[in-house]
Amino acid sequence: MEGLELREKIKEVMVDELMLDQAPNQIDDKIPIFGAGGLGLDSVDALQLVVALEKHFGLKVGNSDAAKAILESVETIAQEIEKSA
Amino acid sequence: MRSILITGGNGGLGLGIAHYFLSHDPEARVWLGVRKNRDKADEISRIFPDRCRVIELEVTAPDAWKNAMDEIVSSDQRLDVLVNNAGMHRDCLLAAMPDETWHDVIAANLDSVFHGCRAVVGQMMRQRFGRIINIASLSAVLPPLGQTNYAAAKAGVVALSQTLAKEVARSGITVNSLLPGFIETDALAEMEDDARKISQRNIPMRRFGKPEEVAAAVYFLASKDAAYITGASLKIDGGIL
Repeated sequence: MEGLELREKIKEVMVDELMLDQAPNQIDDKIPIFGAGGLGLDSVDALQLVVALEKHFGLKVGNSDAAKAILESVETIAQEIEKSA
Repeated sequence: MRSILITGGNGGLGLGIAHYFLSHDPEARVWLGVRKNRDKADEISRIFPDRCRVIELEVTAPDAWKNAMDEIVSSDQRLDVLVNNAGMHRDCLLAAMPDETWHDVIAANLDSVFHGCRAVVGQMMRQRFGRIINIASLSAVLPPLGQTNYAAAKAGVVALSQTLAKEVARSGITVNSLLPGFIETDALAEMEDDARKISQRNIPMRRFGKPEEVAAAVYFLASKDAAYITGASLKIDGGIL
């Protein structure tokens, strides 16, 4: 899975696992996942997201520095999954 | 099938909890974590050969937790319940307490709970289900003389449980602590008769608790019916206030 399909699947997983109010198609690929200017998720959501990404895509996020960069947006997550595929 | 890990699996309370699960839930598969002594744990696993296994687990060592989790998940594909029951006390007045006595008791009672919770929480998040029950002690809220180390560790267990409960609530995991008072275990059996009588006089119910009375609370908190109870600490002490 890659490209648009991958990005849509990531959004579906986020909405489902993190119980987000938005529909997957309302999430922009490049909107920041954390913080007030973006989706507004917090550190507990981040932990859940890491577990969900491993479960659905086999993506292992090693440490918190790496996590910060990888979990910036749907786009950065997708790039990491494509890189590790 | 429901997979349950109980630490301190060779002690009176651990065995009581194991026996309660095994006799009340035919779907329960119990792993008894033990350190040096394992004779009693081996005995109960012989009575329930397909549903009870003994596993080596030094609760203060993160690697031991990883190995235990690898074995359990590779066998059961899940872990539903962790009962952090292992612990010990080494009483001494603070003024005379050696550093080692302080650190050993904190490690056995508090570090162990931290390592255990951290080892299982990822698996429970993946399952979107988990029950963590930490056995603290009445000493966490009513500490007697000579237990600065033990009481501080057990109060830490209560606070750790409350904090972790908030962190994992969204993942279907509950974290609660139990505060048993005087329970009829081997440790209590060593008490002199006079001391037993004095202790019993201070208990409104005028008797010590039985391991199965603590086990019943563990069993309930581990059930699906207890899904909305998290971050709680429950005294089981015959009414001591």
